[in-house]
Amino acid sequence: MPPEDLQPELELVRRMKGGDESAFVHLYRRHRDGVFRLALMYSGSHATAADVTQDAFIHFISHPAQYDATRGTLAAWLCGIARNLARKAAGWREQATDPDALADDTALHESRIDHDTPLERVLRGEAAEHVRRAIDSLAPHYRDVLILCELSELSYAEAAHVCGIDIGTVRSRLSRARARLAQILAPYREGAKEAVT
Amino acid sequence: MTQDTLLDLKLDELRSGLSAVHAPDSLEGALVAKFRSRPQRPRLWWMPPLALAATIALASWIVRGPVPANEGIVSLAPTTIDSDPPFLALRPLASISKETGARVVSSEFPRAMLADWGLPVSPERAGEPVRAEMLYSARGEPLAVRLLN
Repeated sequence: MPPEDLQPELELVRRMKGGDESAFVHLYRRHRDGVFRLALMYSGSHATAADVTQDAFIHFISHPAQYDATRGTLAAWLCGIARNLARKAAGWREQATDPDALADDTALHESRIDHDTPLERVLRGEAAEHVRRAIDSLAPHYRDVLILCELSELSYAEAAHVCGIDIGTVRSRLSRARARLAQILAPYREGAKEAVT
Repeated sequence: MTQDTLLDLKLDELRSGLSAVHAPDSLEGALVAKFRSRPQRPRLWWMPPLALAATIALASWIVRGPVPANEGIVSLAPTTIDSDPPFLALRPLASISKETGARVVSSEFPRAMLADWGLPVSPERAGEPVRAEMLYSARGEPLAVRLLN
């Protein structure tokens, strides 16, 4: 997350806790797209991402006191909630915590394909959808840090807090995730070369 | 082009694609409705001190019984401005005047004990010690108290 002055946002949170609807709407509009995009990356489904986004903000409405500003930004906290909800929705495959228990899986799981709203259409680009599918094929523990750090732009510390691991593990997993992703995307390297030149 | 550069290029493509993705508009209405319908919790900040004061008052009433209307706390000193505070009678003046061998003892005790004698105690300061001079009968019963702080 880029550094920012948190005071205006904390003031909005304080007003929201006091029942100020406009403060909630302001916070929702500020963070809805970030939460939705993260949920989309985890779930691969437009409909599931919408459900996860709604549930994440319902959690915020019901338990605003759980947000602790000393531990990170509201965006990171909401991303953490959305990440947990999306992983829960994805089932047992996402719950594995032992990296050794999960080999990198290059096959896209059928359950993670959105038949109702093809993501290629959602993402408005074949190239973007191709990268998303490559990320989706990574083992969950690698995909986790890649989505949080590279796409949701959480800091290593925030990602570590969200995943419940230490910062060093975030760094090493991110490094391996990038290496693995580069391998998967390697067949397209020549095409990219031509596009650049 | 290095492997990292290619990867960053690809991730930029995905970020660019994602930047055009937005949460469905329909969510906002549902969430605002949820916000409006959430249970409102009354602010109960005044409950703990009130409960403490009520508990002290009840305990005092149970232990000591109701104070007779005309036997309240009576100052033993004339109402003049003085550097030393006056003694406050804990027994009827008539019985104190009959006591022989009474003595004054300097003491320090929890402020909450004042409630036992029917004296007002601020709940916020109930745990603080208080310095006092006690007038005891020859049998060791407290007859009057003078608070020094």
